[in-house]
Amino acid sequence: METKKVKKIHAGYLLAYIFVPALVTACCFLLSYLFFQTGNMAVALLMGPSVLSVVWWVAGGRAIYKMKKKKLARTLDESGFIRNHTFYSDGCMIVVDAVHGSIALLFFWNPFQSYVLPAGRIEKLWVDDGRGGKGFMEGSSRVSFLLVVDGVKIRVNTFTSNKRWRMDSDYILTGISKADMMVNVLKDAKAKGN
Amino acid sequence: MGVLKKMRAVFHDDWCRECQNVMEETGRKLYMLPMTVGHYQSHREADYYKKNLRPVSRKAEIPAGVYACGIRCYRCPECGHRMTKLSIFLPVREEEKTEDMICFDQGEMDNFIW
Repeated sequence: METKKVKKIHAGYLLAYIFVPALVTACCFLLSYLFFQTGNMAVALLMGPSVLSVVWWVAGGRAIYKMKKKKLARTLDESGFIRNHTFYSDGCMIVVDAVHGSIALLFFWNPFQSYVLPAGRIEKLWVDDGRGGKGFMEGSSRVSFLLVVDGVKIRVNTFTSNKRWRMDSDYILTGISKADMMVNVLKDAKAKGN
Repeated sequence: MGVLKKMRAVFHDDWCRECQNVMEETGRKLYMLPMTVGHYQSHREADYYKKNLRPVSRKAEIPAGVYACGIRCYRCPECGHRMTKLSIFLPVREEEKTEDMICFDQGEMDNFIW
């Protein structure tokens, strides 16, 4: 079991993720400016790192996160953790072992550190349906469930959209249902993990 | 008129498919379906429902994120034709998200209901 405090974002990883490709690109631009102002080498130095940086920013994080999710599932199975419920969100993966009352967490911005802890460490649990607006404008663009572990608030989205949906729309109802279900599962695990 | 009535009957689940009369409801039951939100799979075979439906007395007994199935039984007062309508929905707090509607009018569910 993990005794370390839960950390959602690894600052080093986040900064490296953003700035390392930018720095490499800048260095290549400088090299091109100083030594290869024309020719094939100039094209390679100007285009190559720029394209690779964009690819990295778009897909690199997701690829690492996906790989780490698979690895965590494997590690949990090997350690005897019973994966009763697994919820994959855009920024966080949460796995619940309802038998032993423990949870496993993995964050998008901290993919090299996974946390397995007793569900008893969850201090608070609730659903946020994102309801906003009045009258015919009432609706939501995000449904999530939230948990507070060691004073750290973790939001797990069950539905997100770039537009507002009516509260009785199928998308919102599905999101609320998933969030309600996960909160109940976590409450049961918490009762066992205490 | 006969053709028109038959066309209208397509949109009325409680109309007899044999004689197009309004059928009377003879029973209503609520069940829980062992499928959770996000994992719904449509089934058209009566055997699946006979095997998996679990009776519940109230909607509140169904845990969050689990599908419910409301069964309504109809009987035509004119020709005696019987029909069972399954309405599969996801109960979400006070709302219901309808997922599927299945009608069995060849008596496939009779030995399960009665």
